[in-house]
Amino acid sequence: MKILKVDKLSIRYKLKEGEVQAVENVSFEVNERDVVGIVGESGSGKSTLAYGIMKLLPSNAYFKNGRIYLFGKDILKIPLEEIRKNRWKKYSMVFQKSMNALSPVHRIGDQIKEALTIHQPYLSQDEMKKRMERAMRMVNLPLRVLKAYPHELSGGMMQRTMIALSLINDPKFVIFDEATTALDVVTQGQILDEVKKLVENLGLTAIFITHDIGVIAEICNKVAVMYAGKLMEFGSLKEVIYHPLHPYTKALLKSHPDFLKPGEEIKGIRGALPDPLKSFRGCVFAPRCEFASEMCFEREPEEISVEGRKVSCFNLSEVSK
Amino acid sequence: MKTIEVKNLKKYFPLRKLGKRYYIRAVDDVSFSIEEGEIVGILGESGCGKSTLGFLISRLERETEGDVFFRNQKISGTLRLPKDTRRRIQLILQNPYDSFDPRFTVGESLLIPLRIHKIGSHDLERKRKIYEYMEMAGLSPATNYYERYPHELSGGQVQRLSILRAMLLKPDFLVADECVSMLDVSVRADVINFLLNFASLSKTSMMFITHDISLGSFVSNRIIVMYLGKVVEIAKAKEIVKNPLHPYTRILLSYSPVLFEKRKKIPIKGYVQPLLEKPKGCRFFQRCPFSQKECSEIDPKLVEIEKGHLVACHVVS
Ligand SMILES: Nc1ncnc2c1ncn2[C@@H]1O[C@H](COP(=O)(O)OP(=O)(O)OP(=O)(O)O)[C@@H](O)[C@H]1O
Ligand SMILES: Nc1ncnc2c1ncn2[C@@H]1O[C@H](COP(=O)(O)OP(=O)(O)OP(=O)(O)O)[C@@H](O)[C@H]1O
Ligand SMILES: [Mg+2]
Ligand SMILES: [Mg+2]
Repeated sequence: MKILKVDKLSIRYKLKEGEVQAVENVSFEVNERDVVGIVGESGSGKSTLAYGIMKLLPSNAYFKNGRIYLFGKDILKIPLEEIRKNRWKKYSMVFQKSMNALSPVHRIGDQIKEALTIHQPYLSQDEMKKRMERAMRMVNLPLRVLKAYPHELSGGMMQRTMIALSLINDPKFVIFDEATTALDVVTQGQILDEVKKLVENLGLTAIFITHDIGVIAEICNKVAVMYAGKLMEFGSLKEVIYHPLHPYTKALLKSHPDFLKPGEEIKGIRGALPDPLKSFRGCVFAPRCEFASEMCFEREPEEISVEGRKVSCFNLSEVSK
Repeated sequence: MKTIEVKNLKKYFPLRKLGKRYYIRAVDDVSFSIEEGEIVGILGESGCGKSTLGFLISRLERETEGDVFFRNQKISGTLRLPKDTRRRIQLILQNPYDSFDPRFTVGESLLIPLRIHKIGSHDLERKRKIYEYMEMAGLSPATNYYERYPHELSGGQVQRLSILRAMLLKPDFLVADECVSMLDVSVRADVINFLLNFASLSKTSMMFITHDISLGSFVSNRIIVMYLGKVVEIAKAKEIVKNPLHPYTRILLSYSPVLFEKRKKIPIKGYVQPLLEKPKGCRFFQRCPFSQKECSEIDPKLVEIEKGHLVACHVVS
């Protein structure tokens, strides 16, 4: 079953200096029980895409073109009422800004309970308490956290609280936006295992936005690679991470500091993201691409799509040599 | 000269439960020092007290007990510091959004502290410096970002600005708390190299808090591993990776993700128990796969096993 379909989506932000092309003509699909990883350079539009799907964009953003179908419904068309009813219940999200997402003056437990009360008012007090405790255990937090205020938690405890909150209403689809950045490997591993169980046992579908390729390799079955608002490559984990086609994906993987070779310097990709306020000609990655040919600076490569795998590049034969 | 010296530092947060007073021992009797120009990595599980330690040393949090010295001068006992000392000790917050006032543009937030501390002789010069740093961190062209508000930037962009903000003040000592957690590998490499160059040129000492072992061992000269408020191991970064001694360090290393090879994970029991009462034995005892009888009875002391390699564990020593 198709849970999400994003079709030629473009999202822009209005600023006084101009428009930021945050997401440009992005298309991909997510099926039930898929766990899709989204990777890409800082500022490439990953969070914007997530906010778009949840219809939570800030007021200076607008959908320029494209469609988003969530559970078969065009969310750009359905009334806000309906979205409000389902958001945080049928689908939810963990924000990258999770450390600032809760109210500082209310206890954690009260805030989680509120989320339950709004969407499942028919639950008994006992049942609510049981669910809250179950959620806390799932993210490895002691129950005392329910009594604490946000400022009394460590960064990683706060992130785990937000993961618990996002799952409290048993959603079918969740976007995790850099949700485990503050967690050590052991804690992170335990949480990823819990999410895996939800996927297997309860049919959860998820998107993991992360810069941590270790997380991607651990939990995702599909990977999307974004660069400057565009989708560069999309496919199965095996294809994209272990046999990447796009030069950007290759460069990104190459800069991964492999723990096994100590002493080696970590290298970035030379140059920086293009100015998002300017429109560009040709492929957005061309100025930083070691395979770029003349054509790359003139025309934009079309998306080549074979059996669900997508890549946008002119020089695939060169690159894969 | 030692830039930072910490002696028997403790931070207990009171907690009321059923009328009785309990304490969360966030930092519990920690001692170490950081030499001029040295970078010390702090590793450890979420909630083990890393940020609290950072707050205590940069004087944003009052200690329960113990002392902190900055260049041989005692700075503990009060949160008030002379203005210049305040500048010389900088903290990059784990949550970068907390470094910026949402009512100001990020440019203003970078410029105002420079004015206050009279770094640069006029605003033009200060701005030029800020632009230069922004470009170095991949925020290019800088003019695009300078006048934005924090909420108009991506997470990684705000995080890079919070690093620059601390660097611009030319500190002698910098606490970097998970400062590249939101950056992808390629941007991270540039930012880390920028930070390391800066530190070595200006002889800035650093406390580099991270949960990422490969990053920590790349950046640091020495590494301190913490568990539930205690230091359990200190050694040269290379040594920690090559020859981890404390069971907890060994477990952490075995979980560190590697892409193209499956490493055997050492199983770990249960999860962090909240420590409300003072434990009798070793804090790691219940989760430790190697524990012996005495572990539940005597709290192990930090002892030097090899030169410069300290471990707090009965099994090892
Ligand atoms: N409210 C806003 N107004 C204007 N520009 C914005 C706004 N929010 C984000 N941007 C810009 O849009 C682009 C995409 O931002 P987004 O947050 O989606 O990136 P990201 O891929 O999530 O990056 P990161 O990995 O750093 O979180 C960036 O250039 C950012 O500066
Ligand atoms: N202001 C506070 N009041 C009460 N408890 C606190 C306070 N600040 C921190 N704590 C507690 O102290 C312990 C250590 O927190 P700290 O933030 O230092 O952890 P950390 O090692 O930085 O973790 P993380 O990796 O998750 O950021 C936690 O149990 C936390 O709940
Ligand atoms: Mg983001
Ligand atoms: Mg912390």
